[in-house]
Amino acid sequence: MPEVLSVRDVTKSFASVRAVDGVSFTVRRGTITGLLGRNGAGKTTTIRMITGIFLPDSGTIEWVGGGRDRIGYLPEERGLYRQMKVVEHLLFLAEIKGVRGVGRAVDAWLERFELADKRDAKIEELSKGNQQKVQLIGTLLHDPDLIILDEPQSGLDPVNMVLVRNLLRELREQGKTILLSTHMMAEAERMADDIVLVHRGKVVLAGPLEAIRDSFGKNTLHLDYEGDGSFLQSLPQVVKSRVDTNEAELTLSDGTDPQAILEAAMKRLRIRRFEIASPSLEEIFIEKVGAEALEAQA
Amino acid sequence: MRKIVAVLKREYFATVRKKMFIFMTLFFPVLIAGLMFLLIVLMGGALGEKRVAVIDGTGRLADVFSTPLRPEAPNLREAMRSRGNDLPQTLQLEYLDARRQSLQEAAKPYLSRLAAGKKKTGGLDAVLVVPSNAFDDPQAKMTFYSRTATDIMTQERLAAVANRAVQRQRLADRGITRDQLSAIMRQVDVEGVQISRSGEYKKSGELNFIFAFILAALLIIPAFMYGLEIMRGIVQEKSDRVIEVLISSMTPFELLTGKISGIAMVGLTQIGVWLLILGGVAAFGAAVATTAGINILQFLRPSLFFYFILFFILGYLTYVCVYAVAGAACNTDKEAQQLMFPIQMVMMIPWFVMTPIITNPDSSMAVTMSLMPVFGPVTMFARTVASDPPVWHILLSIAVSLVTILAFFWVTAKIFRVGILSYGKRPTIPELWRWMKLA
Repeated sequence: MPEVLSVRDVTKSFASVRAVDGVSFTVRRGTITGLLGRNGAGKTTTIRMITGIFLPDSGTIEWVGGGRDRIGYLPEERGLYRQMKVVEHLLFLAEIKGVRGVGRAVDAWLERFELADKRDAKIEELSKGNQQKVQLIGTLLHDPDLIILDEPQSGLDPVNMVLVRNLLRELREQGKTILLSTHMMAEAERMADDIVLVHRGKVVLAGPLEAIRDSFGKNTLHLDYEGDGSFLQSLPQVVKSRVDTNEAELTLSDGTDPQAILEAAMKRLRIRRFEIASPSLEEIFIEKVGAEALEAQA
Repeated sequence: MRKIVAVLKREYFATVRKKMFIFMTLFFPVLIAGLMFLLIVLMGGALGEKRVAVIDGTGRLADVFSTPLRPEAPNLREAMRSRGNDLPQTLQLEYLDARRQSLQEAAKPYLSRLAAGKKKTGGLDAVLVVPSNAFDDPQAKMTFYSRTATDIMTQERLAAVANRAVQRQRLADRGITRDQLSAIMRQVDVEGVQISRSGEYKKSGELNFIFAFILAALLIIPAFMYGLEIMRGIVQEKSDRVIEVLISSMTPFELLTGKISGIAMVGLTQIGVWLLILGGVAAFGAAVATTAGINILQFLRPSLFFYFILFFILGYLTYVCVYAVAGAACNTDKEAQQLMFPIQMVMMIPWFVMTPIITNPDSSMAVTMSLMPVFGPVTMFARTVASDPPVWHILLSIAVSLVTILAFFWVTAKIFRVGILSYGKRPTIPELWRWMKLA
């Protein structure tokens, strides 16, 4: 699929802090790209440069697809006028994107998000989750081609999270391109086709999710057992390990046959579970950015 | 352009629907009128009375000081006319003929009553001592005792009455009869007539002064109020992060243009309603006033309305731009107000010197200020009401204001670009300067 958005060597500093430091990545049309990283990694600054809120200090951002009116942007924090009525506000948001006469679309969206009865309510009268939904409608109302969502699921309950997830998949089906920023790895793992992992203003990993996972190989073993498993970590084929009382997670060196480990283990332990798996995005993330990130995530 | 209109519409309706707007539009004129009325009522004698003892060493001023001094002419026209020399206050007098006593001894009990204060317990507010040599000795001095060092009005008033009495008495001593005296002392009234370059004559004076003042207030108050409003609006857009959505959809220039034109429309709506109300009141008032001998219509020249609207727009846009910068530069109302305070003081200077400007509309101070940026609109307008300034002054003032507005707008747009998304501490003036160059 053709690339519609390309970010090349973009840098942005605030005072002495280099928030974004030579970031490059591309987004393919009709895909969901997950922009991942800890809070403060530079995700929001990157997004603000793509949406034209900030100008980059250096580097280029190219969006093939007709100017910024064709972008829908959901900011990280709610950005609505508290005093305005829901329907007026939505019409206003469409109008500043150069679109008028979307009254019917507004009603359809409100219906879909179970907000029809809040049509004439003031924004400030809505719950945080409902405000978030209004904001999301405002992002999509002008039918943008590139949809940029910064932590879209913050403030949503599990039911609405499913609603949003389904909506994003549906938009992808329609050929929309979605850039989804999140610090929740599990969410990205569920939704994203491609991922861009940023840490301290730099891209540490980028590409199609499946390829990335494959590149980390099927070299992780999960073992559940009875007995003393402490000898497992000293096996020559084990590069990295976490051994608890009755279970262990082992990372094997390249070319190791997992069967060899199983054989060794069976001699001294009673095995209840044996699984060969790809590392989860979370593990990849931790491996890439180190233990310091683990602490921050907790 | 569509986006500018969208912002303009939103800004306009958001403001016009506020209770403050409705209140200001409908009740502000009523409020002003009420205040004026109250002032006149107060001037009519509601300042209460003062009890004053006069210790007369000459013993010859009994006539003037034996009856209370009441304020003269408590009617509307005279009240407006009064320049404050004759306070509308009744002075209750206690007169003591101290001809054959030591003045110091005679004054003593009165001075202790004065020191005791409070009328209710027989206290006094002031004591005037007239020395026995008041008639002959050119070095003679009256002494005025009071608890407040600032009661200059009462002092002046008593001194004037005493002096007039002494002068009359001196004349009488030289054999001039009572009738002759009245003829000699009769004052000649002055009537002010303003003459314009086109040779028109009109009676000028106190009403014109008041009128200029009210119009200047109407000119300046909305600018400050809606300036504050636009500042708060921008600060709120920032704290609510609406600004991100706006700036990701349009340029800061479009946003600023939309906002300022929206707020300008609000101001014009307000002024429009006020002028309608004023017109209605004036039509009614003119009828009433004509019977009272005042021709109000001479103040309501069509050119006045023209100038009012013109200078209103110029002043309003100038001030609103300044407030918009403050809003863009700050993150909380409090910060913005702190930043604005000194600036506001500077912008209010014409208001502080409004009286000298209106009374001396062609003085070099008034002329200079009317041609300066920021001060120009309100000062120039006051001059057009009070006087008939040369056309080139008016045109120059308009040109200066237009350039100022364009410059402010340009600077505001630049600072907007950088400042509007800088969350953090309030910038210093050097930082603002840097932003301006940066953008």
